[in-house]
Amino acid sequence: MFQYAQYELDLCEWSHFTGCMTSTPASSAIDLFADEILTDPYPTYSELRDLGAVVHLPANDVYALTRYDAIRDALADPGTFSSRTIGFNPMVNEALQGTSLASDPPIHAELRATLTENLSPRALRGIRDRIQTKADALVADLVARGSFEAIDALARVFPLAVVADLIGFTGEVRDNMLRWGQAAMEVIGPMNQRTAENFPIAGELYGWCTGVRAEDLAPGSVGRRIFDAADRGAIPPGTAGHIIHQYLGAGVDTTIAALGNIVALFSAFPDQFDLVRRDSALVPAAFNEILRFWAPVHAWGRLVTRDVIIDGSLVPAGSQVAILFGAGNRDPRHYENPDAFLVERNPVDHLSFGYGPHGCAGQGLARLEAHAVIGALAVHAQRLVAADPVRLPSNITRSINTLEILKVVPA
Amino acid sequence: MRIVIDRPRCEGHGLCEEIAPDLMHLDDEGELILDVEELSEGSPELADAGAAVRVCPVAALTLA
Repeated sequence: MFQYAQYELDLCEWSHFTGCMTSTPASSAIDLFADEILTDPYPTYSELRDLGAVVHLPANDVYALTRYDAIRDALADPGTFSSRTIGFNPMVNEALQGTSLASDPPIHAELRATLTENLSPRALRGIRDRIQTKADALVADLVARGSFEAIDALARVFPLAVVADLIGFTGEVRDNMLRWGQAAMEVIGPMNQRTAENFPIAGELYGWCTGVRAEDLAPGSVGRRIFDAADRGAIPPGTAGHIIHQYLGAGVDTTIAALGNIVALFSAFPDQFDLVRRDSALVPAAFNEILRFWAPVHAWGRLVTRDVIIDGSLVPAGSQVAILFGAGNRDPRHYENPDAFLVERNPVDHLSFGYGPHGCAGQGLARLEAHAVIGALAVHAQRLVAADPVRLPSNITRSINTLEILKVVPA
Repeated sequence: MRIVIDRPRCEGHGLCEEIAPDLMHLDDEGELILDVEELSEGSPELADAGAAVRVCPVAALTLA
């Protein structure tokens, strides 16, 4: 999909008489981070996709990638699409320097290995049963109540409990983790009011992670193992807190979004829920479709390191890119009937975890949690009747804020 | 054609194993083992190998 610009420009010199092959990207006046787009981005994604695989958004000073192939190709090419600016304001990009998230090859591989050593599926096998037992007990209790608010009582409680158990923290830290996790994502947005208000809260999380000591964390926890690795010299001194910061900053708010979406989509599409209830082998496929249908992350940045041609349009070196995962996930060039929610579709190549060297480091844990929740819902509930989901605008994570389950029919 | 693993990049997500169980599996330690590495041109298993390469979420597999 990408040809290097130099090659294209050479062609241009010879094509004065026939017209240049490269064009300027289409442009749109929308603000990607306007409230009404953040709460319901899909009509905008569709308009942008129709304009081009890459669309210039002067209001945000970014080039948005909108189509499946352009997004996946960019994620596979860290040489051209650097992670130096994954955020949309200079303060957050500066704060993230030195982390795996914001680094490029070759240093990225080393940082990533340190981050995933305790987070990869093979490292998590020991906690799989515990996660399933916890999900089953929680869902059985909610179903027995007959009605419940699904975001607080399930989507937030469950990943907070899992991550607290994993890292080994309790008490006051646990009480703060929801707002800290939300703020850590919010500040990745442009310097709007939401970002400004959340920087001090994100700073509290950073402060705690910088000051935490091994003895603050439960013995046997992954958090303790990260400190052990630092003691052994397996990771550089002083980096244990940074790794824990990435677990919490990246893993809390996005997982909450995905779990809320599970309940909302099963309520909205009872025929699709029935398919999963009848065949538990569909659980992983259903989660893939839930992630494809509603991407938990709205936009993520990259820095273009050299002039690049995307689908015939020149994006100049030094440009900021906004990757719109949710737009790519609904691209009719890639998925047939993309606006339909179909659990049997099994879109294993959806873009919601990203792709390639920076693919979501916590996706193994996210799958464990989501599969456990989907499995438990399918076992304990027959039908979920929900009020309309309430969403509040947020810069990066698109999640449901309130989802009243008015009635549960037990299985 | 040959299936190649970028060993340091593989994190054991196992999506390749699900889509191409005749070609590869995760062992008891969660390490990916290629049961078939070399595939001749026109082999019926090439499609599965290509699918495994495509679903790897961290792009650790290639066909060379």
